[in-house]
Amino acid sequence: MNASVLMIALPLLAAFLLPLTGPLARWVGPFAAALNIALGISLWQTVAQEGPSVVVMGGFAAPLGIVFRVDTLAVLFATALAALVLILWPRTSADPRRESALLLILLAAGCGLAFSGDLFNLFVFYELIAVASYGLVAASRERLAAAAGLRYLVLSALGSAFALLGIGLVYALAGTLNLADLSRHADALNSPLGLAAFALMLLGFGVKAELFPVNAWVAEVYSTATARTTALLAGGVSKLALLIVLHLVLLVYAQPAALSLLLTLGLLSIVSGQFAGYRAADLPRMLAYSSIAQLGMIAAAFSVSGEAGVLAGLALALHHLIVKPALFLVGDGWPKCVDSLAGLGRAEPWRAALFVLLALSLLGIPPLPGFWAKLLLLKALLGMGEPAWNLAAAVVLLGTAIEGAYLLRVLQTLFRGTTNAKPATFGGALPAGVLGVALLLVMLAATPVGGALQRAAQQAADVPAYVADTLGGSPQ
Amino acid sequence: METLSTATELEWLGWTFYAGSAGLVLLGCYALFAARHALRLLLGLFLLESGVNLFLVAVGFRPDAAAPILVGEQAGSMVDPLPQALILTAIVIGVGVLALGLALAVRVAKEEGTLDLAELGRRLAATHTPATAEETLPQSGRTETP
Amino acid sequence: MNDLDLLLLVSIGTTAVLFAFGTWRWAGALGTLLYALQLALLAVMRPELPLASGIGFEVLGYRLQWSLSGLGWFFAIITVASALFSAWFAAGEWGQHRRNLRLLHGGLALNVTAMLILLASDDLISLFIGWELVSWASYLAMVQRGGPAMDAAYRYLVYALAGALAVLVAIAMIAAQSPALDFGSVRVWFASAGNGTIWTVMLLTMAGFGVKMGLLPLHLWQPAAYSESPGPIAAFLGAISSRMGLFAIIVVLAQLIGLERLGNLPVAFSFWNANEFWAWLAALTLIVPTFIALTQNDARMLLAWHGIGQGGYMLLGILIATPLGVSGGLMHVINYACYQAALFLAVTAVAHRTGTTDLDHLGGLINRMPLTYVTMLFCIIGLAGLPPMNGFVSKWMIYKALLDAQMPLLFVAAVIGTLGTILSVYKLIHNTFLGQLRLEHAQVNEVPISMWLPMILLALIVFITGWMPGLFLDLVDEAVVAIGITQLPHHLGGVDLGNGGLDMLWIVGVLLAAIGIGAIVYFLGNRSVRVGQFDNYAGGQILTADVPYQYSHQFYAGLLRVIQPWMRGGMAWGERALVSGADFLGGAMSGLYRAAPAGAYLLLAVLAALAVTLL
Repeated sequence: MNASVLMIALPLLAAFLLPLTGPLARWVGPFAAALNIALGISLWQTVAQEGPSVVVMGGFAAPLGIVFRVDTLAVLFATALAALVLILWPRTSADPRRESALLLILLAAGCGLAFSGDLFNLFVFYELIAVASYGLVAASRERLAAAAGLRYLVLSALGSAFALLGIGLVYALAGTLNLADLSRHADALNSPLGLAAFALMLLGFGVKAELFPVNAWVAEVYSTATARTTALLAGGVSKLALLIVLHLVLLVYAQPAALSLLLTLGLLSIVSGQFAGYRAADLPRMLAYSSIAQLGMIAAAFSVSGEAGVLAGLALALHHLIVKPALFLVGDGWPKCVDSLAGLGRAEPWRAALFVLLALSLLGIPPLPGFWAKLLLLKALLGMGEPAWNLAAAVVLLGTAIEGAYLLRVLQTLFRGTTNAKPATFGGALPAGVLGVALLLVMLAATPVGGALQRAAQQAADVPAYVADTLGGSPQ
Repeated sequence: METLSTATELEWLGWTFYAGSAGLVLLGCYALFAARHALRLLLGLFLLESGVNLFLVAVGFRPDAAAPILVGEQAGSMVDPLPQALILTAIVIGVGVLALGLALAVRVAKEEGTLDLAELGRRLAATHTPATAEETLPQSGRTETP
Repeated sequence: MNDLDLLLLVSIGTTAVLFAFGTWRWAGALGTLLYALQLALLAVMRPELPLASGIGFEVLGYRLQWSLSGLGWFFAIITVASALFSAWFAAGEWGQHRRNLRLLHGGLALNVTAMLILLASDDLISLFIGWELVSWASYLAMVQRGGPAMDAAYRYLVYALAGALAVLVAIAMIAAQSPALDFGSVRVWFASAGNGTIWTVMLLTMAGFGVKMGLLPLHLWQPAAYSESPGPIAAFLGAISSRMGLFAIIVVLAQLIGLERLGNLPVAFSFWNANEFWAWLAALTLIVPTFIALTQNDARMLLAWHGIGQGGYMLLGILIATPLGVSGGLMHVINYACYQAALFLAVTAVAHRTGTTDLDHLGGLINRMPLTYVTMLFCIIGLAGLPPMNGFVSKWMIYKALLDAQMPLLFVAAVIGTLGTILSVYKLIHNTFLGQLRLEHAQVNEVPISMWLPMILLALIVFITGWMPGLFLDLVDEAVVAIGITQLPHHLGGVDLGNGGLDMLWIVGVLLAAIGIGAIVYFLGNRSVRVGQFDNYAGGQILTADVPYQYSHQFYAGLLRVIQPWMRGGMAWGERALVSGADFLGGAMSGLYRAAPAGAYLLLAVLAALAVTLL
């Protein structure tokens, strides 16, 4: 069996066998996640040597059957998610079995989403992730966590319904759901109804991707869920939702109208997120709003057609995947109100220093990796050479300046005055530290990492090769 | 199927599917707009999902075709199987989400004493703002931005 | 490994050592020695310029490389020398009294390292990296005293961050069109770019680099940020930090775009070209802050406001684009660094003894602190641009170049700026050293040698290089050539031009002779009577010592009555408007997210999207 299938099957199997493992239950999850990382690395090497491959399920070839496409981009996302799940694995939990099972399902579904080559499977895995995330959010013992979870569930389920409607429309118009096949029949979708289908899917999947009008849950959930769940949602799940959007715009909807729609939502996310963050009085909300804006930047990057956009979005996504979870973890346990952070920089210098490092990278201060991501984003936007995308560069500039103003306010508060409060427990010290070290390693290894991302983007943006790989030499 | 014989009638059946799905979706949308109580919202959601599923049925519908189940050597045209598979999955997931939502609603009702989602939203927005902050350090308001 | 690698390595090592041993009693002395070593390395590498570093990276297809040109070398000399004098001063009694100077010494060294990296950059990305390093390093230097210093530094950093982003957008714009980002390729790209593109790139970069330089209207952060930092740091920042902005502006305007192209770049709907546009902005920069300095009642604030204005002279000189103008502008950089550092150190020395820098609460210290007085006297003469100090030479060159280039209006503007400078520096020295000694300062003593020696040395440099400007003009040559301007013929005493020159050897000689004659008359006449500082009378009324009679409050009341109506604080108003705009938008957006109805936004968005796509 192919390693990509194992990456989905193993965590699922582990999740279902969890009740039978008895005292070993604590170790099943991390073990499965670690195994997934190992599988991911081996797949990475295979892809690097032999190029992308296609796995056919159930005996039907594409476009009829279910296909998995294993390319650099998919392997990158699947492995990064597995690593994030492992790093964020809860050490103590009220109900370890249930939480482990949810995390494992999320891991399996995330890998499945990364590898899926048709809209049907993308939707199914997306829904599986959603269900797992509702459970994880509600598992928090914070006051009002269940209420936030309920509101989140209603919104997300509504989004899924609309996404399904969009998928139905696509099927009605093009007669297929296989992405490669859709790519061949893209003309059929180049109509108002096809565009409406895209809008429905964008708004539906946009709920998880924290896109502008459908992201009201973000601040509520991130300020009530446990830090590790928040980190996973902001760092991992949101990127997977954007991956679906990337597949759509890259393969199916490479038309200006669809790209403009994506760009518009991305820019609105940036503006609304940054300005709301500017007025946020407590840290988790501030980080949540910043996360909305950062994902808006990724969406804006994906709205640039061709390799430059994929590269910029990929760099931004992976950077955010490292930085934002770590920021949530560092802030976990500190007083939530920003004004109450005064003096903590002296009380807990290393923790504050980590916060500073992460915040600077988020702002794109060189030579931290965030700088390269931001440069790629601006270059991609300006490279389009169209007024709307030039405006987008200006919006990114404005948004980052606002983000700087509020993040600096936090840094400033951390080192202002002294506090006689006892140092809070730093429950997330290990995962946050690991992510911080990862950030520094990426900074030092900018050359090879940049090269690898370039190769991944190149491969992902090569649509004809994608179609040929998946459908074989089948006649047009 | 036996009662409907002519092609026109079958086509009409297809159109009723579309009309019904549109009606259900609109009904669900209305519920989501108008209702604030969690149970009504979930109900509206369920209606909307049913409407979407019906839409998918309509997409795959073909007049004069049988269910896409292979039994022996069955010949002739079949209804498109893919939407049906999609609907099956969607229904299962929908039921799961609904159950989870109801379970959450029970917990919320126990903890908060209300299922008014707008009220819950207000309560969520009120946490951790300076006005109700539990922290005791002297507050100078939001840091003055020069 | 060549000299440049060695220099960068030594500089990084200095930072590490000073952070590690910052609390040690002799950290300041150690720092001084290490800066001296860096200065020696710079002197050694002079014949090898331009010197490319062996260090380089290739990221995402862009090559990051460093190479010190004559221009960078010139600024590097000033940087390291300023750090040397600041560290020396901090190593003296001033520092011995303070317990934890880790951040001060380490921060200073970090600033130097960051500036060297910036000055040696040889492509746009390494320029940007150096730029951000400098920004954050100076933030670290500014925040040390906490409280209001942190507020000032925060304001600075928001400006700097927004400016840096503007620069980043400009770099991305170039990157989207030019195959490579090293200075050579960018120069080629500029040569082929259209006017509109160049204007966009130029406005973005000037907005970014202008923040640091304090180019109007981006200067508002600077006075508070500099004057709230600890004395030696203020001296260093005041002397060189803003000049990093000037350096980057020179790189973009003169080295990449080219001054000639600048002259051919029209401003839309006017008879101006880009060169004149920036020259007038520079003129505004040199006038407005100088007159705001007049109204300051704090010695450090007064100096910091001046720093902004003097930057205007330098930029103006360079934009004249003749050898005389460019040499004058660049020479002003090094001259200004000497006297601004010395002035900040002198004010710090006064504050060290009296505990205040409030000009309303000082006065008459001339007999108590004579050496500090001499330092300040020499340096304000330099700052005002009067002979025999070095400031006169550079300003003379700028005036002369303006007249030669037939820019009489700009010449008038420069003279108006100088007028303001003379008035406000007189206020500084008068309110500090002249007039009546305050009772609480009667027991004040001169600062010890460890503090006055660096000050006096700087003051002597100001005098000697005013006497023999050829010493500095030699250094300036390296930079002038690197910009691509022909070298200015000069000699030890000054410059020789076809239509008249300047020979300071003569001027200073005549001046000294006149002073000598005056002294002879004074001493031979022996008619002077020494009067105690409190032996005053006014209006026929004998004043007792407890009623000070000191004209320091509301200095220049008459002049200010005339010019005050012009000072409406328009730029500060603009800044406040921006902040309240951001506050308003922030309120609106967080209101949008706060307690949002569960599904209504999604439904509305779906409706809107369907309407847009289907109708």
